[in-house]
Amino acid sequence: MMTKVWHRLPLILALVVLAAVVVLSVVPALSAGALDQDIMLSTALPDADHPLGTDSLGRDVLKLTLAGAKTAIIGPVTIALGAMAVGLVFGLTAAYVGGWVDWIISRIVELMLSLPTLLLAIVVAGVIGGGYWTNVLVFVILYAPYEVRLVRSGALAHINDPFLDAARLLELGPLRTLAFHLFPVIRPLVGAALFLDMSNALVSLSSLSFLGLGVSPQDADWGRQLSDARNLLFDNPYAAIAPGVAIIVTSIALNIVGDFITEQSEKAER
Amino acid sequence: MSDKTVSSVVSSANVAANDAKLAHVAANVAYAANDGSATVASPAVRVAGLHVTIGGKEIIHGVDLTIPRDATVAVVGESGSGKSVTAKALSGLLPDRSDASGDYALFGEPINLEAGERAWRRLRGGTIVWLPQDPFSSLDPLRTCGRQIEDGLRAAVRTGRVADRAGDDRPVEQGRLTKAQRRAAVERLLVDVGLSPAVYDAYPHELSGGMRQRVAIAAALAPDPRILIADEPTTALDASTQETVLDLLESLRSSRHMTLLLITHDLALAVERADHLVVFHGGQVVEEGGRDQVVHHPRSPYTRELLDAHTRLAVTDKPAPGDVVMRAEHLMKTFPGAAAPAVNDVSLDVRAGEILGLVGESGSGKSTVARCIVGLETPDSGSVVFAGNDGKPTGWSRGEAQLVFQNPYGSLNPTMTVRQTLAEALRVSGKPADDAAVRALVAKVGLEAEFIDRKPGTLSGGQCQRVAIARALAPEPKLLVADEAVTALDANIQTHVLETLLELRSRLGLAMLFISHDLDTVRRIADRIAVMRHGEIVETGTTDQVMNHPRHDYVRTLIAAMPPALD
Repeated sequence: MMTKVWHRLPLILALVVLAAVVVLSVVPALSAGALDQDIMLSTALPDADHPLGTDSLGRDVLKLTLAGAKTAIIGPVTIALGAMAVGLVFGLTAAYVGGWVDWIISRIVELMLSLPTLLLAIVVAGVIGGGYWTNVLVFVILYAPYEVRLVRSGALAHINDPFLDAARLLELGPLRTLAFHLFPVIRPLVGAALFLDMSNALVSLSSLSFLGLGVSPQDADWGRQLSDARNLLFDNPYAAIAPGVAIIVTSIALNIVGDFITEQSEKAER
Repeated sequence: MSDKTVSSVVSSANVAANDAKLAHVAANVAYAANDGSATVASPAVRVAGLHVTIGGKEIIHGVDLTIPRDATVAVVGESGSGKSVTAKALSGLLPDRSDASGDYALFGEPINLEAGERAWRRLRGGTIVWLPQDPFSSLDPLRTCGRQIEDGLRAAVRTGRVADRAGDDRPVEQGRLTKAQRRAAVERLLVDVGLSPAVYDAYPHELSGGMRQRVAIAAALAPDPRILIADEPTTALDASTQETVLDLLESLRSSRHMTLLLITHDLALAVERADHLVVFHGGQVVEEGGRDQVVHHPRSPYTRELLDAHTRLAVTDKPAPGDVVMRAEHLMKTFPGAAAPAVNDVSLDVRAGEILGLVGESGSGKSTVARCIVGLETPDSGSVVFAGNDGKPTGWSRGEAQLVFQNPYGSLNPTMTVRQTLAEALRVSGKPADDAAVRALVAKVGLEAEFIDRKPGTLSGGQCQRVAIARALAPEPKLLVADEAVTALDANIQTHVLETLLELRSRLGLAMLFISHDLDTVRRIADRIAVMRHGEIVETGTTDQVMNHPRHDYVRTLIAAMPPALD
């Protein structure tokens, strides 16, 4: 039993981290007062009141980091789900209908995949002004072609399976066939991809915030925090270390859970 | 020593004495003497109390087995009966996390079943060789056939068993053959298996399935083994190719005085080919003995059931044929890029209550005909017309014809339970889909209700196939097209499924198009037979006409290739 727990330790820790991030983002009381400034206490090193010190505006680094969980989870979840929804619609259609429909969808996907994601997001944010939800929308669109391709290839692996012919012989409509026969067999793939996308989206969103193209300055956000604390590295290094570690740990946790889901679905297939 | 072993030793002695095999035995003595191995009397394989555990689960529960020298021994059993696992244990090929124990002797020499990989490799190189099942995947696509056969020669050199194979008198120095010697030896092996020496430079994809299996046989013979284990060596091949490959194996076996261990699920084939039979069931040997003894005086009820399964189907009432329910006329279908049409001017009709058998080798176009009939393919020209409900001819709809597929696992959605699959089929057909209706449907195909909430992955092939038949029956079609519906199943399960089909026919007056490459199976179930070859129907008639008075040469070949009746 102990060896089993030990073997699964990374997964358990990952789930604990994700649970904490989710709890912090849905319970406002936990981040109350995180944005309170105290200009007299600017850039203080850790003490009893402020375990990780304060930033240049005198905000408590620990509270600010915990409050940053909100933008760290809502955006990535929206991006992953949104992109996957687009991916399922177009990916399943391309695989099931085939022919010229597949050709057109595949060419559009290839065109979009050839664009550099982050660079394009920066250009769009620069032109229309950025903002957290604008970025989320841009990333939904930019992530979607990856999902279309993933879903399409996953579905193509089963498109010649006799059970789909059997569905045609029962004269099931295409929507019913896609939703109840094709989608369930690629569900494990979709589950794993969702978590990996959340991890990527977190890093992408944080990057834009770091560049000042994300959340508005008064919101708590790890990328923003990292950007602000860049100049304080020698005064209070924790102001930069805390959000950096938060991004890395959350991202790794998402990856571990994604890997676990892949592993489980491979086992289930055998 | 148990009674079973004693009797089998006696019977194997009988086999040897019976036939005019004394010459072989004499040769064997010389062979054994050359080899410096133990006494002549010791059998090729003797195993007592073999237990095999894989992943903590015991698969083989104490097998006692004696395999005589210089004989063809068939190991028969359904999949999962332990026949392959036993053979693997005896050649040290068990997977990781497995454990074998028992007394094992090869030609009188005790072998440690728990020996390391290095020890087994010595044994496998020279004494025991496996012939893999599937010639399409057992050869390396990137190397020429000749080079792959040479691999086996190296094993022969290692064990000092090169004999006179190098083809000249030059001594073999330091256990190495020159390049020319190797090539000569391989070419000689190729000729032995009935191939041209030019095959040395061919890649596997340039050869047909039968030729590839010959290459695999040549590779297996290269180390000059004394025991050749052939695991379902012809299952992946067409009927007429099967015949020639088995003939080849038998002639090679007798000319080289090997012991051939033929692992097969096909009892008819085993009886036709083997001198000695071993029947496996549930991880145990239930029957062992000479062929005649097993066929005429089977001791175990399981063997009797297997033999019965082959000879007769339970008789059901045969309804008088009714009106024509489906008529296909002048079907033509050419797939894009194909040189010849897959289906070339095929016409056939099926009447209510009638079973039409459609026979042909793989690639003859019979599956395409089936798919055209149920609308999964659109023929280039020609028509498929169904009788319709009010006598008006109509096209395909789910209530007219349904298809049962070859692969019982693939034809069911792996994520849905039996109940979900059948309820959906009933619901879309406008029938009640409640618990009682699903249970009635399951009962109709003779499946126990306990399987109703299971998913396909936990069902056997036969159970899956019944679910697939049940689903096909849900819309109450007038025609059931069964495309190789029993091919993937074991002999006695096949019989159960065939009986289910026959019973459905007589109870529901169902018309059936039964498609198979196996003339023997078709003969047992069909009222009329149509034989397809290269996309055309070459012969059609009642089962009696086709089987007893075939007009076409090809049909005669097919009939000749059938295993003889068991009685």
